[in-house]
Amino acid sequence: MLEVEHIHVYYGVIPALLDVSLSVDEGQIVALVGANGAGKSTTLKTIAGVIRPREGQIRFQDRDITRLGADRRVRLGIALVPEGRQIFSTLSVKENLVLGAYHRRDQEVKKDLEWIYNLFPILRERMHQVAGTMSGGEQQMLAFGRALMSRPKLLLLDEPSLGLAPLVVRDIYEVIQKIREAGITIFLVEQNVNMAMRVADYMYVMEAGQLKMEGVPQEVMRDEDIKRAYLGG
Amino acid sequence: MFTGTYIAQQLLNGLVLGSMYALLALGMTVVYGILRLINFAHGALVTAGAFTFFGIYMLLGWPFPLALAASLLVGGVLGYLLDLVGYRKLRGGPEVALLITSLGIYILLENLIKLLATPQPYAFRPPAFLGQLQNVGGVAFRTVDVFIVVVSVLIMIAFALFVKRTKLGIAMRATAESVEAAKLVGINVNQVVAVAFVLGSAVAAITGFMWGAKYGQISYDMGFMAGVKAFVAIVIGGIGSIPGAMIGGFVLGLVETLAVGFLPPGFAEYRDAIVFVLLILVLLLKPTGIMGRKEAV
Amino acid sequence: MQRWASLPGDVKFLISVGVLFLALFVANCTLNRYVLHVITLIGIYSIATTSLNLTNGYTGLFSLGHAGFMAVGAYVTTLLTFPVRLRIAYNLPLLPPFLGGPNYHWPFLPALIAGGLVAAVAALLVGAPVLRLRGHYLSVASLGFMVIITTLAKGLKDLTRGAAGIQAIPRYTNIWWVYAWLVVTIYVIWRLLNSSYGRAMLAIRESEIAAQSQGIHPMRYKLLSFVIGAFFAGIAGGLYAHFARSIRPYEFSFSMTFLIVIMLIIGGAGTLLGPVVGTAIVVALKYVLKPVEEGLGVYGLVEIVYALMLIGVMLWRPEGIVGGVNPLRFLFPKKGGRRNAGVPHGEAHGP
Repeated sequence: MLEVEHIHVYYGVIPALLDVSLSVDEGQIVALVGANGAGKSTTLKTIAGVIRPREGQIRFQDRDITRLGADRRVRLGIALVPEGRQIFSTLSVKENLVLGAYHRRDQEVKKDLEWIYNLFPILRERMHQVAGTMSGGEQQMLAFGRALMSRPKLLLLDEPSLGLAPLVVRDIYEVIQKIREAGITIFLVEQNVNMAMRVADYMYVMEAGQLKMEGVPQEVMRDEDIKRAYLGG
Repeated sequence: MFTGTYIAQQLLNGLVLGSMYALLALGMTVVYGILRLINFAHGALVTAGAFTFFGIYMLLGWPFPLALAASLLVGGVLGYLLDLVGYRKLRGGPEVALLITSLGIYILLENLIKLLATPQPYAFRPPAFLGQLQNVGGVAFRTVDVFIVVVSVLIMIAFALFVKRTKLGIAMRATAESVEAAKLVGINVNQVVAVAFVLGSAVAAITGFMWGAKYGQISYDMGFMAGVKAFVAIVIGGIGSIPGAMIGGFVLGLVETLAVGFLPPGFAEYRDAIVFVLLILVLLLKPTGIMGRKEAV
Repeated sequence: MQRWASLPGDVKFLISVGVLFLALFVANCTLNRYVLHVITLIGIYSIATTSLNLTNGYTGLFSLGHAGFMAVGAYVTTLLTFPVRLRIAYNLPLLPPFLGGPNYHWPFLPALIAGGLVAAVAALLVGAPVLRLRGHYLSVASLGFMVIITTLAKGLKDLTRGAAGIQAIPRYTNIWWVYAWLVVTIYVIWRLLNSSYGRAMLAIRESEIAAQSQGIHPMRYKLLSFVIGAFFAGIAGGLYAHFARSIRPYEFSFSMTFLIVIMLIIGGAGTLLGPVVGTAIVVALKYVLKPVEEGLGVYGLVEIVYALMLIGVMLWRPEGIVGGVNPLRFLFPKKGGRRNAGVPHGEAHGP
């Protein structure tokens, strides 16, 4: 479904990603793990269209999207839940969610809104509350819900567990499973390798802007170096 | 000397002036909220609107509603062109670049109008029904004053509804908060910005008509102070807040009128200076304005 | 060429000045009065533009109030030098005892310097509150002060003759005065930039926060640059008054400010000679186009051309004609930090 081919991304003159290639098949949950600053967020942002690569190509459903802007990609079915959530803090929860479906022309927006409220009951409770007044975990759920409102085919999650209490993290990952069951492909980026391992069908490991390793989680975790670096031996 | 009637008279004048400032501030803040651009050219749109009406109604003799519509149309189109040709390329760049460019565009438009009209001011004769004198309890006003206040309030209500209830309006508020997040939900930012320009400019144009109708005279340079005062109104009301802009406009109109009305006669010329003293006071004492939202000043 | 480049800066400067004055001498002898008139005017405006460059181009404070300081300088200088017998005829005040008494008027140079100093003091008073602001708040606030100053000039009729302005000012200004002051202005700014003060100013321009973390107190340097800029603006104002022989408050308002800004941007803010080049082009253009404007009855043509040039420069060559690195990129980093800064296009421009 998604093919990232040999992309190079630079911040000015500083290289952020060097010759990164990966792919995500439909229906999968794929995880990209690595330490802080490895380039995981940059990868997601490049796929989402927030950053343009200097070299390389990105293909989505056999279509070259490398030159497309972020809003075009949303319309094609790619949605990003960004690091730092980036919800509209001056708008209400409901307004935020409705905006998620901004580009949709179909009639099923109300139905999807119901589905989101079922996935995240707390959002139903706070429907008219101004988003900026909610807690971090609630905002994360809102960002999640908003991305889902666009009926994405591919959902990009940037560090979904970052800064959240363990119980909340568990809830989030339960939702991730439910979303996969609904037929949405997921590509997530995580520092929390444990959680990622539990849901992912396939894993990539990134270090300093380059891919170090890839494979099925069990295989990847068997590697001694990886175990030491990420699981503390 | 300061009788009840006098005070009421000043309040009314302040209200009328305030309505016009509120409209101008509204038109300006819609764009400012998204682009952080003080559009000095906004003032030129006021002039353009006034002259368009003048041309269509007084020179061509077309009916009043048509002339108003023409004014709105010219304003909207000009606004769209400004965005497309002038500002789009500079978006995402340093703010001061936009400011300088908007100054350049203002000078361009002002002098184009000066060139096409003449440097002399024109007598502005709106439809007779607007000129009718009324008198309520000793306070004198004309129909045009009522027209201005009523139409302004209607426009503001319409705008509030647009921004609260329609998808596009909500999208505009969202884009004003974060352009990047807006893109992430699939909002076509160019489209939203264009709408903001068109709406804001159309409102500016109609305000030009109002201004001419109220003061009976239009000239090629009438727009500049209007544009700058619109920014002052936005600051007073609170940058980034649409209701704030409107409130700021009313406050500014009232303060300016009351100050001139109650200070000794020699101070009438100081009206512009008073506006800026108010601005500087607000910036120093309460930079976030009345409806203040946080923004680094 | 290499030998030239290897000379110490001061020597290069002196030689350039020498060449300049030689050229002026030749021009003075050979060119007709009209052209000399234009050259003198270019010099006067160059002082204004160069001083604005210090505040706007090098320190990154986009002030729109420069014309106000020129007005201060113009009026102060004029009031000091105005011949005694004319004062009575024109209803202007006589000098108080501590300034020389009712039978005295000042010679040109001290009056000029006084004008500059008063402008500098005004800048100090204006700058203290205004320079705390950033970006376009600063611009509009400084514009506001200019309005306040011109309004005062109109309002304090006993002192300034109000809107009617002052005429019959003695013509003291000539090409030598002007270019001598221009050399002084450029020299002072050049020296300032190459000192620790200058480096601090540039640091503030690039990032005030970063500068603060280096122990630089922004306010001190911003004020310094603002005040020095105002001083020379005052000088320019005084020179202007004694050249045009008449001043009115109206002349020192928006149009003059825009004019100077246009000259600065077109020439190249943030470079030493950019302002002079920009000024020369703009002034020369005016003298070429004015006859066309009047001949064809197309009033406003000159300003339209200026505006088009400004817009053109902003869209396609923001560093101006002389400019190197685009200083505007540093004038104001995007407000709100993360908002748009994280949207790199093409290649990511760093945070």
